[in-house]
Formats: sequence, C-alpha cells, structure tokens
Amino acid sequence: MERRTILKAAGASAATLGLAATTGCGGGAGASADGTVTLRYAWWGGEPRTIAIRKTIALFEKKYPKIKIKPEFTDYAAFWEKFQTQASGGNPPDVFQNAVGFLRKYDRRGVLMDLKSQADAGHLNLENFRNGVLANGQVDGKQIGIPVGANTMALVIDRKAFEKAGVEPEFGWTWDEYFDALQTIQDKLRIAGDTGYFGIMYLYDLYLRQNGKAFFTETELGFTEDDLTQWWEDGYKRVRSGLVADPKKIEQVAPKSGLSAGLAASEFTWDNFSIRYEGEGESDYGLAPIPTTNGKDTGQYLGSLMLSAFSGTEHPKEVAQFIDFMVHDPEVGRIMGYDRGILATTEQYEAFAPADETNQGVKAYEEDVAAAGVLGKITPHPSGADVVEAAFLRLGGEVAQGKTKPADAAKALFSEAKAAFAG
Amino acid sequence: MTLVKEAPVRPAGKRSAPPAAGRRGRRRENLAGYLFMSPWIAGFLLLTAGPMIASLYYAFTSYNLFTPPKWVGLDNFTTMFQDPRWQKSVEVTLKYVVVATPLKLLLALGVALLLAQKRRGQGLYRAAFYMPSLIGASVSVGFVWRALFSDDAVVDRTQKVFGLDAGGWIGNPDYVLYALVALSIWQFGAPMVIFLAGLKQVPQELYEAAEVDGAGPLRRFWNITLPMISPVLFFNVLLESIHAFQVFGSAYVVSDTRCGPADATLVYTCYLYQKGFKEAQMGFASAMAWTLVVAVALVTAVLFWSQKKWVHYEEAAK
Repeated sequence: MERRTILKAAGASAATLGLAATTGCGGGAGASADGTVTLRYAWWGGEPRTIAIRKTIALFEKKYPKIKIKPEFTDYAAFWEKFQTQASGGNPPDVFQNAVGFLRKYDRRGVLMDLKSQADAGHLNLENFRNGVLANGQVDGKQIGIPVGANTMALVIDRKAFEKAGVEPEFGWTWDEYFDALQTIQDKLRIAGDTGYFGIMYLYDLYLRQNGKAFFTETELGFTEDDLTQWWEDGYKRVRSGLVADPKKIEQVAPKSGLSAGLAASEFTWDNFSIRYEGEGESDYGLAPIPTTNGKDTGQYLGSLMLSAFSGTEHPKEVAQFIDFMVHDPEVGRIMGYDRGILATTEQYEAFAPADETNQGVKAYEEDVAAAGVLGKITPHPSGADVVEAAFLRLGGEVAQGKTKPADAAKALFSEAKAAFAG
Repeated sequence: MTLVKEAPVRPAGKRSAPPAAGRRGRRRENLAGYLFMSPWIAGFLLLTAGPMIASLYYAFTSYNLFTPPKWVGLDNFTTMFQDPRWQKSVEVTLKYVVVATPLKLLLALGVALLLAQKRRGQGLYRAAFYMPSLIGASVSVGFVWRALFSDDAVVDRTQKVFGLDAGGWIGNPDYVLYALVALSIWQFGAPMVIFLAGLKQVPQELYEAAEVDGAGPLRRFWNITLPMISPVLFFNVLLESIHAFQVFGSAYVVSDTRCGPADATLVYTCYLYQKGFKEAQMGFASAMAWTLVVAVALVTAVLFWSQKKWVHYEEAAK
C-alpha cells in the first residue's frame, strides 16, 4: 500500500469516528442483507411526547416489518444545535420534526426533501388536511414539511384569579380592555396580571398583523424600529407599575412558567402548551381569546409542527411511507392526541375524542377561533428567523430588567436581524 | 512542587549516567517509546492540533457550516471589536476574573495555613475541603447553585434574616455574576493543596530563628511564609486566572443556557458558544477563540514579567 492510501484510510476512519461521536450513533440508515431498511427519526419535546411517539413507532414497525425506526430525541434548544451539526456533516436524521422558523433556513442549505415527488409517486397522501394547514409546509412551491398538528396563540388564564377579580375575557376584547383587566386583578388580588407579553415574538406578530403589518416578510422584518420601540416602552411601563410580573422573579422559576408558579394571572402562549400548566401549577387554567385592536381581528393563524425529510436520504420511498402513516393513521392520532396541536388530518382528528378537560378546552378554543373567521395565513419565515426570535426574547428581557432602553434594544434587534438574514 | 527549586545537591556528573548503550539500542528504545506514545500522538494530532489549525483558518473566513468557508480576511475581527455584545462579554469576563481569582486564592491560602498545622484528623479536613473541587465542574452542581441562589431559597432567606431583601440572585442582573463567583470560590481545593505543599517546604529553622528574634505571627507570615511560598503563589495566580478566563459551564447552567438575565453572565466562552453553535457563525466564533488565546497569552506574559519583582526563588536569596 502506498503511504497516501494509508493516510487517506486513517483520515476517513477518523472522520467516521468524529461523526459517530457527534451524532451519538454509529451505523446509519442502510439496507441490511434481508432487505430491512433503517430510518432515523428525530424530534424534540418532553417525556409524554416521547412515550407517545415510541408507541406510534412500534405500531408502524408492526405494519411495515421491513422498515426499522431508530428514535433520537432531545429538548428544543439542544435539538437544533445537534441538528445543525449533523446536517452540516451530511448526516441528519431521515425524518425529523420541524417548525416554520426553520423551513427556509434548511431549504436554502439544501437539507429538506421536496415531498411532492413522493406524493406523485403515490407513497404519500397530501389530501384531507384541515383548514388549509398543508400550506404551512410549503416554501417557493415546494412541499418541505407535512403538518402533524395545528395550533394557534392563546391567552392562558388562571381561572380562579380571573373569577375572584370578576373579570370575564371575551372574543373581540381590545388591548385597552385587556390592560384594564390586568389593573383590576392587581387592585383586587395584589398580583401581576401578565408574565411578560412584550418579549414574545409570536404575540408581537399578532399585534402587527392586527395593524396591517407582520413580524417577518419573506426576506426581512416587516415593521420599523419605531414600532418596536413603542411596543417595548409600553411594556416596560407596565412592568414598573406592576401590571406585568417582576422579570427577576419570572427568570428564577424557569423552566417552570411564571403563570403556573403563581407570579401572574395570565400568559400568552400556543394553545396546545396549555396542557403543561395543569401539571405544573396549582390553580385551574383556561384559554381566553387574543385581545384585538379594532374589536374583531386577532391576527391569528394556524401554526404547525411538521415532519420533514432529509433530501439526501437513501430511502425516499420508505421515508414517505413513514410520514404518510404518521399523519394519516387514525390509531396514531388516538395515541398522540393534541400534544403537537390539534391533529392536522381529518382521519386523525375524527379518531381522537379528548376525554380530559384540558384537551377538550384546546379543541373548543380552536373551534371558536375558526368559527370567528379571524384566521389568516402564515408567511414562511426568512432564513435566520430562529436567531431573530432568540434575540427578541433576550432584548425584551433586557428592557424588562431596565438594563437597556427600548430604543436601544430595538436598534440592536434590527442590526442583529440583518446579520442573521445574511448568514 | 517542581516550581520550588531545591538547592542543586546532585553532583553535575551524575546526570549523564545511563549505561553506555549502542546507538542502535537507543534508537530501538526510542522507537518503542514512540510506538507506545502513538495513541496519544494520534489523538493529539487529530483532536487537538488539527482542529486548532482549522479554527485558525476559519477565523479569517465566513463559515456557516453548510457552504464552504469564504475568505474574508480580518472582517471577523473588525466586526467583533465593534459588536456591543462582544464588548459586554469581555467586560463580564474581566469582572469575573478580577473578582473571583483573588478571593479564591485568598481563601485557599487561609485554609492551607490552618491545615498546615499538625492537628488530629487533619487528613479528614483536607479531604473535606478538597472535595468541592472534584465535583465542582459538574452540571449538577450548577443546578444546585441555581436552586440555592434563587428567589426565596436558602441564600435569599438567610439574607432576609439580616434585613437584606435582594429577592434571589439568579434573576437579578446586578447580582447573578457574584453567584458564579461564589461557585468558583467554593472550589478552592486545588490551589489549597498546592499551597499546602508549598507551606511544607518552608524550612522550620527560619521560623525558629525569627521567633528568637521576637517576630510575631503576622510578621513571620509576612516576612518568611509569603516570600518563601511566592513561587507557589505565582503558579496558583497563573493557573487560576487562566482558568477564570475560560469559565463556561457554571455560567451556562446557572443561567438556564441563556447566559443572562440581560446578558449579565455572558462570559466570553458563552458568547463564543452562542455564536458558533446557535447562530452557526463558525468564522466569528473561531476569531473569538483566537482572540482569547492571544489575550490569555498576554496576561501570562505580564505575570511572568512581574514575577521578577515579587517571586523569590531560594537560589536568588543566596
């Protein structure tokens, strides 16, 4: 053997070693001698989700004995750090959970498979998706994500606190009425009304939509520095006056939420997250409508968690079959419930009848929102949106703590967003 | 302690004493030596030297992990120096180094002085004080720290007894860095052990002579102990400040991975990590890493230069 060849071999084995170390998994997706195919499937989420997904995997493997599924899971933040490293090394999972903030980013990097071709080949059914959510997975005419659930923003309230204060949230209430309600809660119960609304990017997006703008256009930010300065100035004022909970306290109960820790009476978040509060907190929690500007439009849309596939997978057909099973099979719907939002296909939606009050509440809420006819369309976020969201949360926190002036924070967000979109 | 040079008692001739072996034998021995070392050498080349050279190259490129690195010259460095968050991270790190290092060494020396005396059960005390250093770097301790310094937790309640209502350090940007400082001080075991070794080397005659001359304990400490252990002190200052510059784990865990609130615990490596692994700006992160290398080298150089002024080696005294 020539010296070069040896070196090459050493280099290659070292590279494999390195990859194995970063992905925490040796041998990958390959077909074995008996024709069995192994797919890697990755998601983020808590323990209940993992238990449920494992059950659905077992179901799939029973039905397709020639396909084996290898699960990989972490929490949200760790998921994307790991995914980024895997994907850049050409070794991402074959199928993985995805969200709107990451679609363009990884499409631009050539990581995501256009699943239309597999649908055309008959391996994946793109029919029966409810309320047009299938569009959430489309970018530039490509279908790069298949929704597994649909969710929308909501105001989660501490029911007991709202009742005690005698406040009744209703559809179409305005921001002024909302802040008046917080004032009443503060006056009567001596607790803050909200946990820190002005640091939540998706809520600010709704507010902007109510005013004819949006957080993101397809390539950049859809608002001005002045808009944001105003939003944060108002927010900080409300922290000072005690309408919004002390950020120092909120910070310290994490990862628990300020609402379930009893630091405030309400919190804006995605409706399917409301399931967590019952487990975490001591009170009774319910869903209330988003305040509006004009008494009608909430700016809401249906967001989605999706399944995406790696463009370079060795088994595109099996990947498509797997996704098809996961989004259409009624039994899978019964197992998953509303953990990832209201089930996205009619087969699964009809198969699952929520038995507990929280899930019933989520269902009722979404039906109300749909009936109110306020649902708009989602814009696919530009590449870099995930970085902008993190910056928004951080800078909002600095404003709340009184460490950065709203105008300076807004300026910083714009400069960081510019860098993120370019990256 | 290698730094405390002993008087050269060994005759110079004895050093070159290995039995006369043939050239060939020696070469063979070398070969065997390299063979045994090869796993380490391979590991060093592949896992340390290789990545370092690569990162030096990346420092001059724009690299998002997906598209090939693009040469941008000094751009990363110029954007870095103008980046307010980078400036903040430098500020936070310097504050941490300047506060944590001296306090930790002071405590280490103080406890070492106590433990240097002959008492019953001294071994037990030494082990007990050293223990935190063994477990201090673990993530779980970070979580414990978060719990200790949170709102209405142990520290907060203790403070309230004294009428100080801070409301927990973790969520307060003005205090949270000091929770990290406390965590660093708590792990004073390693420098303490080194101080202990140094204290053992101080000749007892010096103390006896000083006592005869009527020197009190403070005077003996100042005029005998301190100069005699100054090489050990130098070693500890060097090592601990380098360590402090690289603090990461505690900041990352105590702040729930966000290096906050309000960037109050945004230590240098934490920002580096965010840039590299969250924002995928590997070029920028590499530039940051090499800037840190240069900065630490400069600090080390200054310390070495200053040692002429305050570190006493025995030879010099003669």
